[in-house]
Amino acid sequence: MGKEARQNWDNPVQFVLACVSYAVGLGNVWRFPYLCQMHGGGGFLIPYLIMLVLEGIPLFYMELAIGQKMSLGSIGAWTAINPYLGGIGVASVVTSMYLCLYYNIINAWSFWYLFHSFQSVLPWAECPLNSNRTGPIEECETGTSTEYFFYRETLNISSSIEENGGIHMGQALCLLLAWVITYLFIARGVKSTGKVVYFTAIFPYVVLFIYLIRGFTLHGAFNGVAYMFTPKLEQLANPTTWINAATQIFFSLGLGFGTLIAFASYNQYNNNFERQAIIVSFINCGTSIFASVVTFSIYGFKATVNYENCLERTRLLLLNTFNLAEDSVSMDNVFEWIEKLNTTYPQQFAEIAHKLEGCDLESELDTAVEGTGLAFIVYSEAIMNMPVSQLWSVLYFLMLLLLGMGSMLGNIMAIITPLRDFKLLSHISDELLNGLVCVFCLLLGLGFTTTSGNYWFTMFNDYGANFSLLFVVLAEVITVSYIYGIKRFEKDIEDMLGHRPNWYWKIMWAGVSPLLLITLFIVYIVNYIQGGTPTYQAWNKELVSWGSFPLLTDYPVFGQLFIALLLVSSVSCVPLTALYVYCRERKRRPAHTGSPE
Amino acid sequence: MLWKVLLLLGLSSAWAQKLCSPGASDGYKVRLSINSALGDQAYVWNENEMFLFRATLAFAMRTYSDGQEYDVANVVVCDETPRVSFWFVVTSPLDASLLVDKRRVEEAVRKSRSRINSAFLLTDDTLEFIGIPPTLEAPVAPDTPPWLIAFGVVMGGVGAGIVVLLVSSVVQKIRKKRDGEEETGGKTENEAASDAIYNMSFSDDEPVTQM
Repeated sequence: MGKEARQNWDNPVQFVLACVSYAVGLGNVWRFPYLCQMHGGGGFLIPYLIMLVLEGIPLFYMELAIGQKMSLGSIGAWTAINPYLGGIGVASVVTSMYLCLYYNIINAWSFWYLFHSFQSVLPWAECPLNSNRTGPIEECETGTSTEYFFYRETLNISSSIEENGGIHMGQALCLLLAWVITYLFIARGVKSTGKVVYFTAIFPYVVLFIYLIRGFTLHGAFNGVAYMFTPKLEQLANPTTWINAATQIFFSLGLGFGTLIAFASYNQYNNNFERQAIIVSFINCGTSIFASVVTFSIYGFKATVNYENCLERTRLLLLNTFNLAEDSVSMDNVFEWIEKLNTTYPQQFAEIAHKLEGCDLESELDTAVEGTGLAFIVYSEAIMNMPVSQLWSVLYFLMLLLLGMGSMLGNIMAIITPLRDFKLLSHISDELLNGLVCVFCLLLGLGFTTTSGNYWFTMFNDYGANFSLLFVVLAEVITVSYIYGIKRFEKDIEDMLGHRPNWYWKIMWAGVSPLLLITLFIVYIVNYIQGGTPTYQAWNKELVSWGSFPLLTDYPVFGQLFIALLLVSSVSCVPLTALYVYCRERKRRPAHTGSPE
Repeated sequence: MLWKVLLLLGLSSAWAQKLCSPGASDGYKVRLSINSALGDQAYVWNENEMFLFRATLAFAMRTYSDGQEYDVANVVVCDETPRVSFWFVVTSPLDASLLVDKRRVEEAVRKSRSRINSAFLLTDDTLEFIGIPPTLEAPVAPDTPPWLIAFGVVMGGVGAGIVVLLVSSVVQKIRKKRDGEEETGGKTENEAASDAIYNMSFSDDEPVTQM
């Protein structure tokens, strides 16, 4: 097809590893454990697996089929399916572009933490001292040292999205490094990516396994695992559980970005992608569960350490106030002593009653965190309490890096593959085109390294991709099932694989998946409208002494406009492209009908 | 005569006790946490240890205060508790009824804190002078932050990788062009048809090897 021979993966294993590397990303580590905890522990697996079967695997299969059949990137593939709906591909590329802009910042943070792990004392383990060296800095004391390190030293965050500052040089350097490495991995297209994915797909599992062993041998780990995996089946009655399961499967598999189409376009025509789709989906699912077990054991350890520290502080308070001998109160009988002292010295006890923190292991375990907060604050807090913490820190951030890089590779390919297909750009060499895309994304991404950068990052993270992807995949499945036609699609697959897809696939594509997607779409819109003004969490330094951060703030007007722009810009590509193609056809047709006369 | 001496001694010790009382304006409370610091190797707090404390404090006052000859008797201790905490005041060597000013005591303690700590095998956390915050050690600030070194290493490696990659692809392109020119130059003498076929396959090869 055409004069160029398209690049191919060296072997099918590279393709599978590339898909695994792309699909298994940070969301498996920091979103799934949170959902598991929020929606009834082990019981969450039931809706999760059901949604995988109803929605995840069929849509994954469909995207791979399209890519492998058309051997083109997303724009070319959708234009080939139906010229008016090439806009679906354009929407995918725009969404991938937004993702590429902000996703590498996470890799930059991982690099920052990784490089800072090569010190005798981890910098987030202790608060830095104030100017007269009498104690820690006030901002650090009100929060924790890990929070301080993340918000002040890593991000140097401003008080709100409206306050801008300069670029954080360390962040900018790390972002530069992240893009340089991304370029190195994709410079020669599939030839280089194919070799890299062996490492980016497999090494995170090695680290997860090491962490599993380490996690289980930590003091208090079983508290976490037991508490969180105990199924609370009443959560299954809550519709939000099912919605969240469907949404998580959807985003976890990376559908709609055009990456799967791009990867599959480099396949041999007769590659058995049906089996590969099922394998990759289950690997992704399994990794989420695996990562949750590790996360919960780390949670359990952290909660136990915090609980014991709380008991220790209470014990000291009792000793110091009542001048008891040191060995009279131990950690085990703190609560008995509290009762005893309350009855014998009620007045003195009343004086210190406000200083007594209620130490409760369950409430420590209940603190559920997701996202960058989990990865960079909670985990680093747990790591600093482990023996030989530098080693564990290096391993952990290396794993985060590889997970993030793997997903980045997929998203960059989703942009470059369609660009490559354009005749205009086909005379530019691979290395140059890839370099230009990387430089462009780097320059725009520098905006996220400013002091208000994290707020913009959160905005992109929350609004940049979610809505557009739902729309894009809904459009995809409706196009394939009804506009292109299931019969034609069946024949294409038979052409490639040698057998037709069975009734399960057809029912999912034509009926179940579109219904599910429409439901998700409507729920998203309803939530967005009902949520009122979008808000974000601001880290306001002035309110430090009241201990009231992060503070929930409304987005200012320009922020809300930007959110609307993000949502509309990718979705509108579909109607706009259809309109453009229609006008182009109209222009052509009058000349056509005019000439015979 | 003897009873006068006894009376004076009794009065002076009573007086000394009056000088030192919990909450005294020129006194400080001291708290030791020996078990937390030393665990199994904790020593028992007794009169001898108290004597050592008073002697250490007298040493601190001698060295870091006005240089007068403070003695163990000038450090008066009271209100000992099983926690191992007590109050102390320092009297002037010239006049036993006069207390040394709080700030001079604080200064002396601050400057000799590490000596006092090491005399008892304790640290700033476990030997506390309530009201005298310890001057914490300034963190060691290396000339180059260590993270920059790690960054430099990785960046250098990646940069070298990219240079190697680009150079090798340019070299390959030049080599292919040279090979292609040689071949087409040789073949023009032969059939034009095979020439045309050969040219097409040549232009097919180029994009493939470029990648």
